Amino acid sequence: MKRLRLDRLAGQLLAAPISPAARLSRPSSISRSIPQTCRHASLYNTQPCQRRHQSTVVSQAPLEEQKQEEEEYLVQEPEDGEPTPEDTLRSGPLPSPHPSRAASSAKLAALHARLSLSPKIPIETLARALVDPSADAHPKYNNANLAYVGSTVLHYHTSETLITRYPRLPMSILFTAMKGYAGNPALHQVARAWGVESAAAPGEEVDPGLLQYDPMKPTVVMNKWGYVRAETIESEKFKSGKGLSGRVMYSSNPFGESSAAKALPNFEVDDGRNSKTMLLQNAPANAHANFVRAVIGAVYMHCGRDAAKNFIKSHFLSRTLDLSNLFEFKLPTRELARLCARENFEPAVARLESETGRLSRTPVFVVGIYSGRDKLGEAAGPDLDSARVAAAINALKAWYLYSPGQVSVPSDTFAEDAAPWKPAYVDIGEIIS
Amino acid sequence: MTIRALEKVSVGQNGIGAFILQCKRLDIHYCDHSGSSRGMNSFIKTHLSKFAQRHPAIEFAVSPRPRKHPVMIGHYINGRQKAICVANMEPSQILKKAELLRDASGDKVKRVNKPVTSINESVRGVWSPYHGNGMAV
Repeated sequence: MKRLRLDRLAGQLLAAPISPAARLSRPSSISRSIPQTCRHASLYNTQPCQRRHQSTVVSQAPLEEQKQEEEEYLVQEPEDGEPTPEDTLRSGPLPSPHPSRAASSAKLAALHARLSLSPKIPIETLARALVDPSADAHPKYNNANLAYVGSTVLHYHTSETLITRYPRLPMSILFTAMKGYAGNPALHQVARAWGVESAAAPGEEVDPGLLQYDPMKPTVVMNKWGYVRAETIESEKFKSGKGLSGRVMYSSNPFGESSAAKALPNFEVDDGRNSKTMLLQNAPANAHANFVRAVIGAVYMHCGRDAAKNFIKSHFLSRTLDLSNLFEFKLPTRELARLCARENFEPAVARLESETGRLSRTPVFVVGIYSGRDKLGEAAGPDLDSARVAAAINALKAWYLYSPGQVSVPSDTFAEDAAPWKPAYVDIGEIIS
Repeated sequence: MTIRALEKVSVGQNGIGAFILQCKRLDIHYCDHSGSSRGMNSFIKTHLSKFAQRHPAIEFAVSPRPRKHPVMIGHYINGRQKAICVANMEPSQILKKAELLRDASGDKVKRVNKPVTSINESVRGVWSPYHGNGMAV
């Protein structure tokens, strides 16, 4: 099978510097090549032109081919080499610091060293990862592209780890666990644990080592998860597909969120002219999370797939999330009965194992749930019924949280000398949907 | 839909997975004329560049503070600061203090009287009076 060449698709992130005249005429083509994350490119075109030199550059050798393409592109440019009048006349300050200032920022160098990033990742790329689309709308100078790459890599590794490690998780729990590891709140905490400070307001004069975002300006929310069905928009409009199977089918979001606001490809922050659903709830968390995703994207683009996987493992998948605390059951006894019927176990029976103080103010009953001679679960409660329900919940959690231990994940087979993939066990699905 | 999911955020522990040095910035203040800064001035001349090279993860800011005692202030990821006055100290003593600031987590100093602190559940479990054979009274 032919592999997807992500490095080809996202090649513009590693672009060698080209002449400013060509760069100024290009944003529309850039916005076409990235999937819907930057619709502000057109917005930018209406603003006065500003000259800057892109300098997130890697070594020239692997980019020869791309550079030739760039040169071909330049040949076709009509106004190549001729600075336009708008070009020479720069009006107003830049929206974000000039990339050339990145090399002299102590904060940025310290952040690079603190994260133990490879020297292959240029300091300018890290500076670009710190510029939110709300601070600088130009897609070549903000982190939207890098964050998109980073979010897909992060979601891929998180989901494959969760599914192979806990093959029987119900979908709703799987979505929430994904959010607990890779959602905005978790990534916000990671960014804070990395010691990233944010600038009071974005601007040209700000230290490039500070996170720059503006809570009052339009930004980009990374909530896309691969292919989005055409029906998704319709189902959002008519409030259909809100059940779990609808969330699995129609949600464009890795966390199965299907509310009208969250399924929109782009959020815009506005001062009340838009409907309430278009307002971003937590702009700082979104900006911090986008920075973290952009760092993952930078690691992926400059150091490769394995380095990105290690980075994700050490910074995100090593965090602790107790999955047994995520469950809230409505009908545990019925669900356990259906489970036993589905798996051809003998019907579940609750038995009183021990009790104390039945006639006192504080009785305790210990109830075990048995299927034939096998004990499925046990719990204590202050009355017989709640003890039975708690025991059923324990039995169901024991089923759902089964883990085969350390198993290989699909991405292990990407290595050159990897063993062929052995299909992992994944449960057939919900017991009662 | 008999199972509803409760949203929780994963908890990170520094050093499990990746380690992030908690000291992010070290402010170093000196005075050109006062006698109490003599050790600090020679520390800046002799030790500081090597110390800064060994710790690229820390941002160093050296600035004069005339007619005041020399001081080192560490800024930490949790938002706290730790300041040490290094008046009349030898350069080697000041180096020790800089290492102290580097190694600190930024938290308030707490008494640790348990050998292990863990967020994991006990492996052995909690003793229950309702299991086993019970005790005859």
